[in-house]
Amino acid sequence: MFGKKRVAVIGAGMTLFRRTLKETGKELAWEASKMALDQAGLELKDIDSVVMGTAPDAFDGVHMKGEYLADGSGAYRKPYSRVFVGGGTGVFAVDAGWWHIASGQFDTCLVVGEEKMSSCYPHPAYAFTTIFDPIYARPLGVTLIWIFALEMHRYMHVHGIKKEDIALVSVKNKRNALDHPCAQLGANITVEDVLNSEMLCYPVQRLDISPTSDGAAALVLASEDVAKKVTDNPVWIDGVGWCIDSTFWTNRDLYYPRYVQCAAQMAYKMAGIKNPPKEIDVAEVYDPFDYKELHHMEGLMLARKGQAPRLTAEGVTQRDGDLPINPSGGLLGVGNPIAAAGIMKCCEIFWQLRGEAGKRQVKGDPRTGLAQAWGDLMQYGSVVIMRS
Amino acid sequence: MATEKIQDVRRMTHWPGHMETDYIYTLGIAGERFFKEIKENGKIPGAKCKRCGQIFVPPRLYCEKCFDKLTDWVNVGTKGKVYTFTIAYIDIKGARLKEPTIYALIKFDGTVGGLVHKLGEVDICDLRVGLPVEAVFKPQPERTANINDIKYFKPVK
Ligand SMILES: [Zn+2]
Repeated sequence: MFGKKRVAVIGAGMTLFRRTLKETGKELAWEASKMALDQAGLELKDIDSVVMGTAPDAFDGVHMKGEYLADGSGAYRKPYSRVFVGGGTGVFAVDAGWWHIASGQFDTCLVVGEEKMSSCYPHPAYAFTTIFDPIYARPLGVTLIWIFALEMHRYMHVHGIKKEDIALVSVKNKRNALDHPCAQLGANITVEDVLNSEMLCYPVQRLDISPTSDGAAALVLASEDVAKKVTDNPVWIDGVGWCIDSTFWTNRDLYYPRYVQCAAQMAYKMAGIKNPPKEIDVAEVYDPFDYKELHHMEGLMLARKGQAPRLTAEGVTQRDGDLPINPSGGLLGVGNPIAAAGIMKCCEIFWQLRGEAGKRQVKGDPRTGLAQAWGDLMQYGSVVIMRS
Repeated sequence: MATEKIQDVRRMTHWPGHMETDYIYTLGIAGERFFKEIKENGKIPGAKCKRCGQIFVPPRLYCEKCFDKLTDWVNVGTKGKVYTFTIAYIDIKGARLKEPTIYALIKFDGTVGGLVHKLGEVDICDLRVGLPVEAVFKPQPERTANINDIKYFKPVK
């Protein structure tokens, strides 16, 4: 065991994910938090500490989101902090929640993720234009999508991967999302639909990308003592990992996410996992773009370099396959309220390991699951490994 | 093909807000020297780490790996190779561009990093990863010490 106390997940909750929701960000955070507490059978007075994850202030348009969202996150007069590592925030917030309890300082921690991207009008993509280096990149008119396009193209070039191989991810995830009651973009689409969708920045097309979303998600974490008192089936956090690569994305291997590999190695070592594809039963891999699911499967060592498209084509990553990836529907299907989406992935692994995923339940009896997110300027990896 | 009914936030009860702030960014110690070299001499410099031997382009004040100060500046020439590229059909606000813009990451032999920039004077059919390209600078009097002093990179003839 790592740390002074073993840490369990005992409850999870999430709101609908939608392009635009009526609720304020605070109200969304409260709704998800309340659901997670209800599932855990706890009340706010039972919570010792709160970790809130939320991405750039420019989305909600409140230039101090941690403070703004505190009450909705259940932080009133409690030890509270906001964490922020871009898109990696959701899973990293769970890593941070883990050390709150593993350190021995607290017995319970409420971990909340929120994003209300619709506030940024007319389109939240514009908020992304100020995340780049102001001197070397922004004067060129850099956008988020063309940076991804450069990486996707390099990945395709190095391994000789075709667009139709990658489009299968979008098809799978949007179909999986049809079974998710909170999903924004569940749909039955075909590879042709993806290949015929609007070209944005070659090779990235409209249906390769997850949407912008409003939403929140939350988990309740507890020490072993508390967990065993309140539930018969806790899910244990057995591995955490996080890592950042060069801040200059020009200095990175664009075809391979080394930052994910480093984060995964840290978590696998902690969980005693030596053969990830054999020992991981189900994984929620960060998929804001379809190629990123493949890229990240390779970084997580769930597939060898360049082999993730083949596993996808063979059906291995389907919900009824040998290594189900994103049974929730992922960001491509459920939606992508950045920090909330990362926590949604952890919620899904929790529900899968408890056998509570309903129509989304993967076959067999999954005992070990992994959630991963990716963020900052495309070089931050965060990983959580859970066991039932 | 649309897979979602897009709801306009303005159809809900709302309050329109504004968060604009303006900024002036200093180029920094290494950046000032880098852009001065481009502006005055039409040269692209890199900075070499004495400990690990890596040459960083653009040059930095320090090595991110060794954490040493970089004092060794070298000229890396104006020719590089396309490492990856994209053809952008939309602008930073998501609107369709009249003419697509080609952007590439250009790497210089024997160096770490590279420059992201536009490609010009190139037929889309000739585009490929590995294409040798060279920097096209603005005329010297028009240069103002910024990344757009390089107009674009064009294929080496
Ligand atoms: Zn060095």
